[in-house]
Amino acid sequence: MSRHAAPTVPPGPFIRPDGREKVTGLGRYAADLTATGQLHAAFRYADHPHARILEIDTAVARAMPGVHAVLTHADVPDVRYGGLAQDRRLFAKEKVRWEGDVVAAVAARTPEQARQAAAAIEVRYEVLEPRSDYVANLLPGTPLVHEDWASYEADANLGRHGNVLGRSTVVKGDADSAMATADVVIRGRYVAEACQGAPIEPRAILAEWAGDGVTIWSSTQVPFAARSGVARALELPESRVRVVVPLLGGGFGSKCDFHFEAHVAALARATRRPVKLVFSRREEFIAPDHRREGMLIELETGATRDGRLVARRARLVLDGGAYCGEGGFFAQMAAMHACGPYVIENVSVEALLVYSTNQPSSSIRAPTAPQTCWALEQHLDEVAAALALDPAELRRRTLIENGSVGPTGQVYEAIGAKQTLDAALEMIGYGKELPDDEAIGIACGWWPSFASPSGAYVKLNGDGTATIVTGALESGTGAVMALPLLAAEVLGMRPEDFSVRAQDTETGPWDLGSTGSQTTFNNGRAVIAAATEVRGQLLDLAADQLEVDRADLELVDGVVRVVGAPGTQVTIAELAGIGKVLIGKGSGRPPESPPVDASACVGRLGMESFLAPQLITHAAHVKVDRDTGVVRVLRFAAAHDSGRIINRIGADGQVYGGVLMGIGQALSEATWFDPTGRQRNPGLLDYKLQTASDAPPIDVRWIEIDTPGAGPKGSKGVGEPPSVPTPGAVGNAIARVIGRHVALLPMTPERVWEAAQADGRPPDGRPPDGHGQADGDATTGQAVR
Amino acid sequence: MTARYLAATTVEEAVAAMAAGARPVAGGTDLVVRARQGSAGLPPALVGIHRLPELSSIDGPDARGLRIGAGVNHETIMSHPAVLTAYTGLADACAIVGSHATRVNGTLGGNVMNASPAMDTGAPLVCHGALAVLHGPREVRRIRLDELWTAPGQSSASPDELLVSIELPPPPGEGGLVTASAYVRLQYRRQMEIAIVGAAATVGVAQGEIQQARIAITALAPTIRRVPMSEEALTGAVVGADGRDPRGAADIETAARLAARAARPVSDVRASAEYRRAMAIVVTRRAVITAVLRATGGRVPVPASDTTFGS
Repeated sequence: MSRHAAPTVPPGPFIRPDGREKVTGLGRYAADLTATGQLHAAFRYADHPHARILEIDTAVARAMPGVHAVLTHADVPDVRYGGLAQDRRLFAKEKVRWEGDVVAAVAARTPEQARQAAAAIEVRYEVLEPRSDYVANLLPGTPLVHEDWASYEADANLGRHGNVLGRSTVVKGDADSAMATADVVIRGRYVAEACQGAPIEPRAILAEWAGDGVTIWSSTQVPFAARSGVARALELPESRVRVVVPLLGGGFGSKCDFHFEAHVAALARATRRPVKLVFSRREEFIAPDHRREGMLIELETGATRDGRLVARRARLVLDGGAYCGEGGFFAQMAAMHACGPYVIENVSVEALLVYSTNQPSSSIRAPTAPQTCWALEQHLDEVAAALALDPAELRRRTLIENGSVGPTGQVYEAIGAKQTLDAALEMIGYGKELPDDEAIGIACGWWPSFASPSGAYVKLNGDGTATIVTGALESGTGAVMALPLLAAEVLGMRPEDFSVRAQDTETGPWDLGSTGSQTTFNNGRAVIAAATEVRGQLLDLAADQLEVDRADLELVDGVVRVVGAPGTQVTIAELAGIGKVLIGKGSGRPPESPPVDASACVGRLGMESFLAPQLITHAAHVKVDRDTGVVRVLRFAAAHDSGRIINRIGADGQVYGGVLMGIGQALSEATWFDPTGRQRNPGLLDYKLQTASDAPPIDVRWIEIDTPGAGPKGSKGVGEPPSVPTPGAVGNAIARVIGRHVALLPMTPERVWEAAQADGRPPDGRPPDGHGQADGDATTGQAVR
Repeated sequence: MTARYLAATTVEEAVAAMAAGARPVAGGTDLVVRARQGSAGLPPALVGIHRLPELSSIDGPDARGLRIGAGVNHETIMSHPAVLTAYTGLADACAIVGSHATRVNGTLGGNVMNASPAMDTGAPLVCHGALAVLHGPREVRRIRLDELWTAPGQSSASPDELLVSIELPPPPGEGGLVTASAYVRLQYRRQMEIAIVGAAATVGVAQGEIQQARIAITALAPTIRRVPMSEEALTGAVVGADGRDPRGAADIETAARLAARAARPVSDVRASAEYRRAMAIVVTRRAVITAVLRATGGRVPVPASDTTFGS
């Protein structure tokens, strides 16, 4: 290893260069784009959540003023698509399976004309009984949401059967026998509602053909997946599809996956005009096959008096909704979170992902984890109470540490779970005296890092600046906050010297996109490799010019100089200006998943191995208004082991946003379905996001240790973990004030008030009338031997 | 889509446009939002009333009380000295309508004529004895607000009548009577809220005793309404020199329970009827306690909904 490898002072955190245009309104988002001659798109959605399509008559709509095209399934290739199961078409054909299923699309001169024509399409249906109650859809004999499921292309490991889209188990040892020997056995039943990513920017797409190729500007988190989806659905070579993402106005997972790009491209092709689609806020709630999954979580834990967890049994049922989307792995991910970052001697967890006629579930920030963690962490507080242990002490005794063996036989090395616990307790002032309507709750969680191929180019410009060309997607992922820092360190330059060309499938190498907290983790590796090539070229040039040995040179503060003789130097700008092409490329080798011993587990989709796991402890200090059930989070502490932090400003920002999102899920955010599966609150008036005024002070601490399998410079992912344990910490704090756990998520004022009223009575856990949930008899309880 | 738009410069011009079918628009915080959400879109004809001087000022206080132009926004009202001192319940309400942007753009007149049973300013205005001044093609008339509203979203004003101002009579103050008021609503979060349940109270206290009381409830019936039974229960309540006498507390509890009994709550996505009824007791109790404290020298900052959280 060369002692000259690193610059003397590594570049420090820096403020994002695209911040100014975003906050001043100068930034251009997809909806801001206009193409000459463009038409406007509108969709006709399903008129019933579940119905057989008998006939679609577009004649009236086609004849309406301004209408250029009306498309249905008959106008596009008969292709199914989806993630692990290909179960959806662009346009519903035989059946509609949820209220947002697209039946037809219109392109017209104005948005109003397009909407009116969409409404004028005549669709005859045979209405079928909705299958909104996903738990009931497991019962034998229940009519199928997908009658033809067996004929679909799908991953063989999903374990599909009828309405079951996925079944996974995590099995370790003999949980049944161990449960029988436990000193204390606690059982809990928890129900979490669906909720949304709710980005500030409703999605927009503009598609324009030139020759036989199409360019699509889209507010997607995953431009390469969107390109693949368009190519598959329209039967085009990928090379004829270019997806460009202008500034992205948030996604939180909801803009992962391929959604509407092909509909708009098909309209543009049919009309020979550019076509633009801009969603209303209502559509942003209803139409994407992408929201956070509702779940039923049943947990049972056996513990010994000294606080060992000897057995965990769990059964999880997840609402998959009408289609698979990219959420096919949810059963296994949820099963892993039903174990959590704890040493449990024997485990038997079964998770089922079930079709329903609700909006489809797909990844929203740390899919399945916040709900499962919320249930598990409240459950663990009940275990602690039964053992007469402080909740923090039970966790201290049971959290995984160096050498611990996980539920799938993975041996964890160099992880900071217990350090996050200690840090969070210290930051929140755990144990201090509080008024009787205030309390502190804690929760721990975990989340894997995801390895993926990725690539980047770095080119040095003639003026001594540089450009990073990447396929990465910027939505707080580190594309603008971390990549320049990594390249700057390699090249002895300032991060401000780098511009980033990203999120364009025609420009950058393939990238997974803003998903799986993977951008800095994987693209950072690629950028370092590319910058290292440029570094080599600079060293060669400088060695020539200075007539010194290459090995005696270092790159520092924008110059290449001789170590120990700083007078002998040449600036990088001079070298860049001499007319040589200085360009580097790289991808690096993704880290490999750690070995596991999961032979007893079924439904293995890769989640059984947690690469470079991130560990988290959150602590929430809340105040409960006992008379109303309204909860306010007064203060919050978040301690994270995400490995080495590349840019503290960006990483802290992820925690602030993730915690606030988690508080929303804890207290107020839910998509309430009516009994037929229609959303009752598809708007921001009644989908209650937390506001800036609700945000508590959030203390952040990073536990920086070098975990095997970590990404560039020892970093792990950052983006998803911040919302994982938040609802659990808030829930445990509420329970400490009111004396019992709220087993329904979100823990709305009405539910907290009901739970507080029920003091001393056995819980009935009924959901409030106002929330009209068919499935909600959640309970918690214990049996102490 | 709106085909015709006129920015009126006189009340007569605005009323004539309304008689010809135009809908008035000032801040647009209800009209535009609803048009974007619903299928109906914006009305075909609009008349802008934001330039009318008669609508844009707060006059008084004087012997006739205070007159608030219909076009005055919530932010202006909540920081007006006379509102803060003599009509504090209205300040409590104006301070929590929507967001800061809503409060700066949205007008009192728009809030009143929207006739939502969940409007925040309604209950305190009713308790303050407010009159709506309606300017029609032929006459100007005054009507009590609880007579103006007839059903959710409906008022007894005809389509060609323009709300010009709200008149607030002077608070009763004879014979050593100290009148004070408060508005409290249940809020799930700190901003951007709509009333799920709310209550306003005005009390006149002399010699440690409530001599006059008005109670009105929000989002608990098809229109905002007074609760005479609660008002009777409060009249004569002994609250003491500091407003905290336990005998008065019992009467306040009775009044709060009577308010809940008078409620006709609905179940919807925001709350169940059962919860709303239970919360009617809480917000009414808090509104009365706050008004009594303010009448007996206590300082309860505006907005009372924040101040009374968890109390």
